[in-house]
Amino acid sequence: MNKKHILIVDDDPDQRLVIRLPLEAEGYEVKEAANTEEGRRLVLETKPDLIILDVMMDSTTAGFQLALELHNRADDSEFKEIRNTPIIMLTAIHSTTPLRFAPDEDYLPVQTFLEKPVDPELLLTKVRGFIG
Amino acid sequence: MMATSPADIPSKKDKNASPKKDRSLVEAELVSSVAWLIRLRWLAGVGVLLASALVSVIFPFGIQQGPLYAIGIGILAYNLIFYLIERRLRQASAPATSFDQLAKWQVGFDWLAMTLLIHFSGGIESPVLWFFIFHIVIASIFFPPRTAYLFALLAIGLVTGLTLLEYFGVLTHLPISGLIGIPLYQSSAYVATVLLFFTSTSLITAYLASSIHERLRQREEEIIELTRNLRRATNRLEALNDGARLVGSTLELPQVLNRLVESTALAMGVRACSIRLLDITGRKLDPVAVFGLSKAYLEKGPVDPEDNPLAREVLSGKVVNVPDAPNSPLIQYPEEARQEGIRSMLSAPLTGKDGPLGILRAYAVEPNRFTPDDEQFLAAIAAQGSIAIENAIAYHAIETLDATKSQFIRTVTHELRSPVSVTQSLLKTLVAGYVGEVSEQQKEILGRAVRRIEFLQTLVDDLLDLATGKAEGKALEIREAVDLRAAIERVVERFRVPATEKELALEFADLTPTQPFIIPATVDGLDRILDNLISNAIKYTPIGGKVTISLSGITDGAQVTVEDTGIGIPEDAMKHLFEEFYRAPNARTLEQQGTGLGLVIVKDLVNRFSGRLTVHSTLKVGSRFTVFLPLAEPELMHIAQDASTEAH
Repeated sequence: MNKKHILIVDDDPDQRLVIRLPLEAEGYEVKEAANTEEGRRLVLETKPDLIILDVMMDSTTAGFQLALELHNRADDSEFKEIRNTPIIMLTAIHSTTPLRFAPDEDYLPVQTFLEKPVDPELLLTKVRGFIG
Repeated sequence: MMATSPADIPSKKDKNASPKKDRSLVEAELVSSVAWLIRLRWLAGVGVLLASALVSVIFPFGIQQGPLYAIGIGILAYNLIFYLIERRLRQASAPATSFDQLAKWQVGFDWLAMTLLIHFSGGIESPVLWFFIFHIVIASIFFPPRTAYLFALLAIGLVTGLTLLEYFGVLTHLPISGLIGIPLYQSSAYVATVLLFFTSTSLITAYLASSIHERLRQREEEIIELTRNLRRATNRLEALNDGARLVGSTLELPQVLNRLVESTALAMGVRACSIRLLDITGRKLDPVAVFGLSKAYLEKGPVDPEDNPLAREVLSGKVVNVPDAPNSPLIQYPEEARQEGIRSMLSAPLTGKDGPLGILRAYAVEPNRFTPDDEQFLAAIAAQGSIAIENAIAYHAIETLDATKSQFIRTVTHELRSPVSVTQSLLKTLVAGYVGEVSEQQKEILGRAVRRIEFLQTLVDDLLDLATGKAEGKALEIREAVDLRAAIERVVERFRVPATEKELALEFADLTPTQPFIIPATVDGLDRILDNLISNAIKYTPIGGKVTISLSGITDGAQVTVEDTGIGIPEDAMKHLFEEFYRAPNARTLEQQGTGLGLVIVKDLVNRFSGRLTVHSTLKVGSRFTVFLPLAEPELMHIAQDASTEAH
């Protein structure tokens, strides 16, 4: 069976667990990163098929920064190989951050958003939509 | 005669430091009098010419007409010159001294013309002689008494000289033949009598006219003084009124204090005014508001009540007048005061409910400037100022407290949000069986936990919304142009499933479908308003009921109503509807879960979007919530248009 790899980047271990359990139950191989630094490293090492990224980590927009880096279109980008890997971004509902959340190729190179608290069914639906 | 000092011009009673402004009234009077004199002289000149013609008709052979005409023309001629000079002086806004000199020259020429006229109309026998009296009256009006007497004496001298010259035959006497039969000018008794009477009449006239005019001048001065006093009183009343308004205002403290010192200095007409407030230690008086003092003076050194005898005395509650600041033992920095040009100081205590707050001080460049009236005035301002200062401090404290409270709630709820959210997800993962089979009983228990945690999640979200709104307030303009119709359609769509589950008819009545409704708001905020109102309607409407949302236009705005056929709101509950955590008893019975924050958030958001919210409800019949929202300004409209085209 061709196992799809998924990388979760989130600083909350429980949150990572909540996402990992349904994904593993569905047969995906899941790796976890607790911060953006580790996330960068694991992206290069494991070349995941999908990345699930939390917005607020070290800073309130750390997730966005990482997403921008990963999907950088420059030719000398170190993440050249995975720049087309889909990203799901985790956000809190009724978020109070002044950023407007809307998938926008120019500003937020992410494919979709998933609101916390995470609904396992919704998570799996979205993941299936990207990598089957 | 010409060498007059400017001090002659205004009143001689130079009441202490009569300001420039008031002297200009006297000046203006002089200037206008000069013009008046010139106008009068046109008549006099013409009068002489007419009189000469008339006399020649009555006494055809009794008089030489030639010289009389010449004098009349002469008067008109020199009056023309004076007229031109006067006009030039006026255009050049010449000083009052120039006008004074001009007046003296004019009177001099008039005297000469008069003397000639008398000579050619019969000398001491001339009836024209008594016309001199008019001139003396005019001179007395124009000049201070001393000058008026001098002119009167000059007239007497000229007339006496002329009479004596004619008497002794040095000058030819020119009688008016036919008027007086005998040559009286040779009669010593007649000459002596006329001269005596002329002299006494002239002097008495000068005296009377001067005294009357002097009294009028004094009146005028009194009026000027009164006007000045009134003006000062008005300024003070304005300052007090200003102070009273400051007391009632909720301005920031620095603003309050700056306004206070400025209006006080202006009202008292003094150089400067300052407020020093005690710092927390009570050992330092910091200048917090200053008007009219140099930076150098302010930075002269620390003012510690322990070392500053004046400060100590004022802080004990006394108004202290220092008439000679640079030499007073009360002053801590006398040399600095001297350099600043300050000669007298008046200080009043600022006193709060719990003791002294600081000092209000007025500074004047004149020594001994402050009167008991000033002391009273400054004390009154200080009393008002104290209240204003305390109000401002209290207001600031409340504001800070409110902000701190909101920030605290924000931080706490923010911290709560992650664990609640994650716990909820963990429970759901369990229930969904991703970690193995769950028995029915376990599922039932986990389901209860999920519902409780869901409620907690709602509460945290609501609290966070509320606290954020409070913290941001209306000041933070995060407004965008939002399409109200699209927002309603979106939210109504979201409630289709829950409505169907409850067998409710959910309807959106778009009453003016072609009219655009662009609202200055935030997408999230508008969503929250509609979400709360519609979810309430669905929650509190029994199965089979109906929920109708309608949109229509009103003047300059939009009106959204959410109407249901629900349980309604009891009358007693109405007044508590927008209280935090309040839930009506019938709502509580029907639906266990509910934070009692939804309507508070709705009201808060509607207010922030400059809208209005009204409620109509009948128990057991239904409720109707109406939101009025103003439309966006035209410049925002196209932004909304762009946004909506992008979204499609």
